[in-house]
Amino acid sequence: MKALGILIGCAIAAAAASNETILIRNADVYPVTGAPMKGVSLLIQDGKIADIGAKIVPAKGVRVVEAKGMRVYPGMLDSGTELGLSEVSAVRETVDTDELGTFMPQLRALVAVNPESEHFPVVRVNGITSVMTFPSSGGRGGGGGRFGGGEAQIISGQAALIHTDGWTWEEMEINRSAALHLIFPAIAGRGGRGGGPAPDAVLELFGATAGAASYTQARRTYEQQIAKLNDFFDDARKYQKARAANAPGFQRDLKFEAMMPVLERKVPVAVSASRASSIHDAIAFAEKQNIKIVILQPRELGKVAAELKAKNIPVILGRVLALPETEDSAYDEAFTLPVEAYKAGVKFAFGTFNNEFVRNLPYEAATAVAFGVPYDDALKAVTITPAEIWGVADKLGSVEKGKVADLMVTDGDPLEIQTQVKHLYIRGNEVALTNKQTRLYEKYMGRP
Amino acid sequence: MSKARFTKAWLAALIALAPLSAETIVIQNATIMTVSKGTIKGSVVLKDGKIADVGEKVMVPTGATVIDASGQYVIPGIIDCHSHIAADGGINEGSVSVSSMVDIRDVINPEDIAIYRALAGGVTTANILHGSANAIGGCTLPLKMRWGKDAQGMIFEGATPGIKFALGENPKRAGNPQGGRGATATVQARYPATRMGVEDTIREAFNEAKAYKADWDAYNANVARGEHPIPPRKDLKLDPLKEVLEGKRYVHAHCYRADEILMLIRVADDYGFKIRTFQHVLEGYKVAKEIAAHGAGASTFSDWWSYKVEAFDAIPYNAALMTKKGIVVSLNSDDAELMRHLNSEAGKAMKYGGMSETEALAMVTLNPAKQLGIDNRVGSIEVGKDGDLVIYDKFPLSDYAKVQKVLIDGMVYFDRDKEVSGRAAKAAEKQKLIEKEKQNQQRQQPQRRPTGQGGQAQ
Amino acid sequence: MKKLITALLLLCAYAFAESPQAVAIRNAKIVTVSGPVIGKGTVVVRNGLIEAVGENVPVPADAWVVDGEGLTVYPGLIDALSTVGIAGAAPAAATATAGRGGRGQTTTTTATPAVAAAPVERARGPEDRPSTTSWLIAADEIQAADRRIETVRSGGFTTAVTFPTRGIFAGQGSVIDLLSGEKSGEMVLVPSVGQYISLSRGGGGGGGGFGSGFPGALMGYISYVRQIYLDAAHYQLVKDAYAKDPRGMPRPEYDRALEGVLESKRILLPANRLVEIDRMLRFAAELKQPAILYGARESYRPEAAELLKKSGAPVLVSMRWPEAPRDANPEDVDSFRTLETRDKAASAPAVLKKAGVQFALYTDGLDQPREIQRAVKKAIDAGLSREDAIRALTLSPAEIYHVADRVGSIEKGKIGNLLVTRGEIFDDRTRVELIFVDGRKYTPATDTAAPGGRGPVTDDPGGNR
Repeated sequence: MKALGILIGCAIAAAAASNETILIRNADVYPVTGAPMKGVSLLIQDGKIADIGAKIVPAKGVRVVEAKGMRVYPGMLDSGTELGLSEVSAVRETVDTDELGTFMPQLRALVAVNPESEHFPVVRVNGITSVMTFPSSGGRGGGGGRFGGGEAQIISGQAALIHTDGWTWEEMEINRSAALHLIFPAIAGRGGRGGGPAPDAVLELFGATAGAASYTQARRTYEQQIAKLNDFFDDARKYQKARAANAPGFQRDLKFEAMMPVLERKVPVAVSASRASSIHDAIAFAEKQNIKIVILQPRELGKVAAELKAKNIPVILGRVLALPETEDSAYDEAFTLPVEAYKAGVKFAFGTFNNEFVRNLPYEAATAVAFGVPYDDALKAVTITPAEIWGVADKLGSVEKGKVADLMVTDGDPLEIQTQVKHLYIRGNEVALTNKQTRLYEKYMGRP
Repeated sequence: MSKARFTKAWLAALIALAPLSAETIVIQNATIMTVSKGTIKGSVVLKDGKIADVGEKVMVPTGATVIDASGQYVIPGIIDCHSHIAADGGINEGSVSVSSMVDIRDVINPEDIAIYRALAGGVTTANILHGSANAIGGCTLPLKMRWGKDAQGMIFEGATPGIKFALGENPKRAGNPQGGRGATATVQARYPATRMGVEDTIREAFNEAKAYKADWDAYNANVARGEHPIPPRKDLKLDPLKEVLEGKRYVHAHCYRADEILMLIRVADDYGFKIRTFQHVLEGYKVAKEIAAHGAGASTFSDWWSYKVEAFDAIPYNAALMTKKGIVVSLNSDDAELMRHLNSEAGKAMKYGGMSETEALAMVTLNPAKQLGIDNRVGSIEVGKDGDLVIYDKFPLSDYAKVQKVLIDGMVYFDRDKEVSGRAAKAAEKQKLIEKEKQNQQRQQPQRRPTGQGGQAQ
Repeated sequence: MKKLITALLLLCAYAFAESPQAVAIRNAKIVTVSGPVIGKGTVVVRNGLIEAVGENVPVPADAWVVDGEGLTVYPGLIDALSTVGIAGAAPAAATATAGRGGRGQTTTTTATPAVAAAPVERARGPEDRPSTTSWLIAADEIQAADRRIETVRSGGFTTAVTFPTRGIFAGQGSVIDLLSGEKSGEMVLVPSVGQYISLSRGGGGGGGGFGSGFPGALMGYISYVRQIYLDAAHYQLVKDAYAKDPRGMPRPEYDRALEGVLESKRILLPANRLVEIDRMLRFAAELKQPAILYGARESYRPEAAELLKKSGAPVLVSMRWPEAPRDANPEDVDSFRTLETRDKAASAPAVLKKAGVQFALYTDGLDQPREIQRAVKKAIDAGLSREDAIRALTLSPAEIYHVADRVGSIEKGKIGNLLVTRGEIFDDRTRVELIFVDGRKYTPATDTAAPGGRGPVTDDPGGNR
């Protein structure tokens, strides 16, 4: 664990290009991990938060940012994106998320991140300073990827934790292997998806489901897939043994090499599983294989919430602003999922799982607040909590001395729509809050 | 039972059974955002389905039901200018490029759960449109979200009907099927395949419509003269286009890129009709001048972008910029999920481009009402307008706010408290049916025997 | 007496018709449907017509006598919407969607390409008259050799209202008697009783893609039907004007699609959900066509029954009651709407009866006698009286198609279509003993044309399906 921390620290430090020292003066600092401090100053130095206090006298040449009436928060972290991997989702050539192959742990999202993606400057405007970017993040039960073809994928590769700014992906990297993405097998559901009647409803009445195999068959397939998954992990363990023994004739296998940190519990497995029964089975699988897991995009908690709490398994909640799963589900089913997790004591963070909406991360959190989550916990769910979940809480996620200076300076509550981000700092560098969209706005406002 | 007691019981039953009759309602002590006449702290009186009074101090009629809205906010019912809910059997007649003969009115589905969910999101009126598969799509109409009424009961009576046009990538997609166009392709291609062809398709259709109109005008003139000629054949495809030429049917044109927006304006100019609204119009900000000069309204997304190539230049400042250039702008959803939080989408117009509270709120209330020609009835809280209101627990232009009640025509159609407290009973009712079915199945199990065809085994 | 019956029963191995000049069924219980039940009586059929029926009817000397002790005589059942007799036709089903094989359809299930009504050319609009064969008359398409005739008859049906069902304007239905023979012409009672209209290509409604041509979406189908009727009205105007005085007028083009539509006395429209029932009733009123709705799955809902009552339109209720899936994910629960429909669908006939709506039951493609019996029994268990169930399969369909002067009840002068059972009709243990069609005697087929081998109906009353 220490080794990993040093590695991450080095990665961040290496990426810190500028040595500019900045003093943010007279702001209200919201550390997130403690009480807000009104009217204090914050010193950024060598890419870190060097000092926070009422009276900091800047040395000569230090740039001073007057921030009276403004607030300083940690930059936000979106725990579920495809940023850098997908530009125009309808155009295949611009999308690099869905690879072929069932077990592909050796794939690294990081190397396919396009630092010039227009999405980065867009999300920065709303205060998002770091994201988890996933191979196949939309995976809810597999399928051959958005563009079809290929068998159901189970392990899609290594998700990276990156800053939303940098000249190259190396500079953006916080953790190249923050999690291994696993799409847990699932059985298709019935129950009348909400909205619209006709074909599905008619087929349902007569006991058939369009194109689907019977439940018995589906169940069999499901169990076969889980068996295959266990076999793969068992093979990885065999490899681990052979590797440790360094037997003659031992050959490196890249897939299994990628599994080593997972087996050593250094890298968590982010498991996409939406139904309570799948989550339950995923937990059982994790126990059996003795690995750390995080559940991505659960759609129902129910009884499995207690299990998650007992085993300290965190969840990344998908879009809160989403439709209910079935026709009879409560209209606010998705809105109340966060408070359900909260009440059950399950650790949760938010992810938007769609590049287009990453900039709306804080508003997903606000919706969770409307439906019962205490404000502080919602704010934490986009700052310190994901930092904890992804193992970087010593460096990121709050405004504390010694941490990396990923900060947003706002004119109000960041979860409120009308709030503007006035300044953004990533690794201690001020990042311009302009992007293609602000430039087009200016250009066409100026059209005579 | 004595006669008096019987009458009382009968009356009580009658009153209890009168749910959605037009009772008089007073919503008290709220912050009322009227949209047209500022924001006040006061009350609204609803009588006979209409807004009877609104002000800081109102007279409470005797027998009125009082809704205490202290600390809460009231806004006009939200109007979604672009929706595809509540329609049966497919939203696109995608087999032909000009499908003006089809009409959403024929396929209204009042039992679509999406209606209820929209209602729970504060929407009281939605403009139901044909999809965007065709350069000229089908006829459209606005519906009120009167959950529980039948198909006819949903129709916004008296509203001018519309027709959907579509420009850009979608209407040319069938002209570029996978595997290529041409005789050797496995799938036949449908004209048009380019934006050029989209213009041609629209021009050809209006060319035909002009001739058709001339035939009918001649016929009507003859009849007026007392003659009895055989009327021309009524053509359902050309009738709506004739109505467009006569200004009797609104054109709602789905579009993205600046060039196609300009193209359609010029086509409309040539044929002498007006485009009522541009829909999506994500690059509307680039040709705001031309749109304003033409007099079209614009109905757009708050911040969707990048999902298609033609959406790549979309900017969240679109709504604000177009407003500043003199266009009536509304924010729409085109999506059953997004339509549930148009209140907070409106808030985004304040963030991106600095619209005021009222300007932003107007984008989901009065502006879409104007665009649909129904602003005499809805869109603001003014005496005489329909009693279409939404009560929020917090400032509405925010994701912190939750819809508490929704009224349409002065009747409560959604009540969050009742909805939440009624869930247990609904679940119990469903459970009963589940149990019953399980028992039935168990009873039939012993007779099950496999048959050769794996069929009817009961 | 018993010997006679045994002799008759020994002939059960083969189904064949006998045509004696006169037949008398003596001392049987007779359910006339048009009048009170005759506890013990006699019915005489001569030359294919009912000569006499009553308590004290004398048995003619030349009649072939059936000892009706322990037997009940009913009017032959009438299937109000069928495809029996039309070779290669898909079973008429308002709810039919792909992939439902194995529901007891023994003979034809999938449509044979040879009879494809779908044109090779993809329709570019209503002017191409997509899926329209309105001029087709079932009577012209009947193939007397269709094995389903025998199968359905073995369940007690003597008459079917058979329709071509492929297409939007599929064609005109005919009332036929289910005779086995060579000449199909002799089966026809009424050659044209109405135009069958469907609003899908038989794969469910759903989005209108370009692939299969116009129309694709439901609104396309509706608009097409509307356009045809506008065209038909215009066509008639022009034809009439031309007939009055052709001089100087370009002659109207002969349009057989419109001719077919104009000659249809009434239309059959599909409607299962309440929304569809409402929609189709309005549509029929708009088109100014007398209409019969078929399907009627949600007619158990009081609002549906009320709408139907107000409109006066007769309705054909499908006997294919929805069922729960047998192999379902135990975690999953169907929607409340679905559960309720499955629970209440079979009560539709009872609800309609109570509301005073004119209705008949139809087999909707079910052709195995056991399936049909069970389906009717389900309706009886759900509240329809047995008398009303019998009526819904006899006099009611006859009335709906205006042939009640000829069939549908046991009355002097009507056609000799009779069903003779041992036991009360529609009960599980009841056996069909004899069927008379146009006075010709048939015995129920023991081994139906089912591949997969069902056992003989007669010696296993519990059935082995």
